[in-house]
Amino acid sequence: MAEPVTSTITMMDPAGLQAIGAGLAVGLTGLASGIAEKEIGTAAIGAMAENEGLFGKGLILTVIPETIVIFGLVVALLIS
Amino acid sequence: MLKPKQMTRAVIVGHKNILEETVDALHKANLFQIEDYIEDDSELKIGKPFGNISEISKKLIKIRSIGSLLGVEDVAAQRQDSSKILTDLDDRLNQLDAEVNAVSEKKTELEAELKETESLKKELIPFTNIDLDLDLYHGYEKLAVFSGYVQENVEPAISGITSSYKLYFDPKNSVIVLFVPKEKSEEVSDALAKALFKELRVPDVSGVPSSIIADLEKKEANIVNKIESTDAEIEELNVKYADFILASNELLSIETEKSEAPLRIATTESTFVIDGWIPTEHYDDLQITVNTATNGRAFVSSQEMTSEDEKKVPIEYDNPKVSSPFEEIMDLYARPRYKEIDPTTLIFISFPLFYGMILGDIGYALILLALAFGIKKFVTSDAIKPLMNILIYCQISTLIFGILYGEFLGFPLASIHTDHGVEAGLIAGFETIDLFASPIGGEMFTFPVHRTHLVMTLIVLTALIGVIHINIGYILGFINENKKHGFSAALFEKGSWIVVELGILLIALGYVGMLPIAAGVLVFLIGFVMLVKGEGIKGPIELPALLSNSLSYTRIIAVGLSSIYIASTVNLIAFEMIWEPGTAIGGMTIFAIVVFLFGHALNTVLSIIAPGLHALRLQYVEFFGKFYEGGGRKYDPFGYIRKYTEEK
Repeated sequence: MAEPVTSTITMMDPAGLQAIGAGLAVGLTGLASGIAEKEIGTAAIGAMAENEGLFGKGLILTVIPETIVIFGLVVALLIS
Repeated sequence: MLKPKQMTRAVIVGHKNILEETVDALHKANLFQIEDYIEDDSELKIGKPFGNISEISKKLIKIRSIGSLLGVEDVAAQRQDSSKILTDLDDRLNQLDAEVNAVSEKKTELEAELKETESLKKELIPFTNIDLDLDLYHGYEKLAVFSGYVQENVEPAISGITSSYKLYFDPKNSVIVLFVPKEKSEEVSDALAKALFKELRVPDVSGVPSSIIADLEKKEANIVNKIESTDAEIEELNVKYADFILASNELLSIETEKSEAPLRIATTESTFVIDGWIPTEHYDDLQITVNTATNGRAFVSSQEMTSEDEKKVPIEYDNPKVSSPFEEIMDLYARPRYKEIDPTTLIFISFPLFYGMILGDIGYALILLALAFGIKKFVTSDAIKPLMNILIYCQISTLIFGILYGEFLGFPLASIHTDHGVEAGLIAGFETIDLFASPIGGEMFTFPVHRTHLVMTLIVLTALIGVIHINIGYILGFINENKKHGFSAALFEKGSWIVVELGILLIALGYVGMLPIAAGVLVFLIGFVMLVKGEGIKGPIELPALLSNSLSYTRIIAVGLSSIYIASTVNLIAFEMIWEPGTAIGGMTIFAIVVFLFGHALNTVLSIIAPGLHALRLQYVEFFGKFYEGGGRKYDPFGYIRKYTEEK
């Protein structure tokens, strides 16, 4: 006679999945911000080389994609 | 306070023979911004510079080049009497020029000599391992000499051609020196070509290379010594003449500026017209100044400001001294336009507020406060001071929020009650006080506010702060628009957003069953239609920004938490992983202290950058986006603030 299979054997630990989810949320959005900031940052430095007065504008433009990773961080906080 | 200074357009007219006195008085007053005259078809022509401008600018160039050669820096120096400097300027300048020239020529000569020695040394280096006098390399009738690099040992190939040869080979550098009879030289050279022979020029000196190099090195050290002593002489000159150079540079700059002033002024055969701007409050001073300088012979009059003028009025901030450091932050973005609200005072409140909410740590606040006061005391630069003042305001706010949050360098000051029991805080016996249950996430609102245990509530709270901040922006936008394009434009462009928000709020209330949902939808639709009318298709496209902008304020808690986590990780590594408090003090204690100091030093630097940038961004992107245009021209009066000289 075979033993009845209990369902818990195939279940994953929900806390672990939560942690993975939170990690993905921060990690992927961090990558996305990084890619966006890379492009803006190079352009901003190029512009600054021509006109130093553009520092403020360049700085602001470079920080704008930072929102993506902040949202990721908030989502991670909500999950965990 | 919320407006830039009132400006008046003034015109000064007079006879040409009092132009110099007028310009002199204006320059001294440092209040009037001259509007450059651009020549057109009218009778008016640009004036001619006063006096011997080319002579003055020649001297100015000389003094500036001497200054940069000596490395004279802008430092606080004692003020000097300008008339005394002017009387013996020429003599002292010539003397200084001669002295500086002598020293700099000496230095150039020495440097050239050094370069020569170095290149000779470089040429000699391949021959060092071949112990032959360099005189032996040339002057033969029947012998051919080959010297150069080879890729392989050529001895077998040469011995195949002739038996009478003499070969010196240095395997380390792969250099050969080969003597063969002249008649065999062609065959030998073919053989050498197969070994990829690359000829070396023999330096034109005599003696054994290794001993020549030793001599050269001695000579080099000697020259370097001499260069150092000339540098010391230059430094001496710098110390001796810095005051004179700074003062005369200032004086000559003022003279040039004054003599060039007519190039910006409209003149006719016998009259001049100076057109420009002055803050309205100083208009009377201008009249008095010009009248006293010219005995009332020049005529000052104010002009009505036209709408064309409004676009090019120079802008001067009008803020109380407390909030004036934040003008730097405004300038970083753009100066306001003339009829626009100047939000400096609002930023004076909201920027330190957000910064403090993000950082909120007593320890970092005290460190950065000390740092800011220290820098302010020891660095006299004018550019640094407002920045340090901003930092001080921010740290005061951080200190207040630090007390509210009960945090010190990432340690909680009060105990924390969690599901797994009570964790003791830094201050023994300081118990967290439960205030009321937060409606969100079943969290308990406490004093001090433990940010790590109230995440959900604080996320919602910060988003609400965002909604309030954004709406202040819309209201300011409404006022701006009302001033510029009238009430209906303001209502449709900015008011519509408030109606839309109201609609969303009513829908939310309807959702929880307090109102019929249709009422909310109706208000929302009214707002939507107004928006389309006000901003066209762009309006509805920007609707989702309402959500993302308010959610953007959640960074206040998110960035704050990341700073806490970094700090508490440093504490954890230092005190729990490598050294247990209460155990004997040993090598691990020292290591723990190093980790602690280094970690918190790093986090202190991050504590300026991260909260600063994010608080700034909330102002620039979320807040300014709602109402601010900017693009005003800086008010830059004709004149000069003397630093090194004074007129007696």
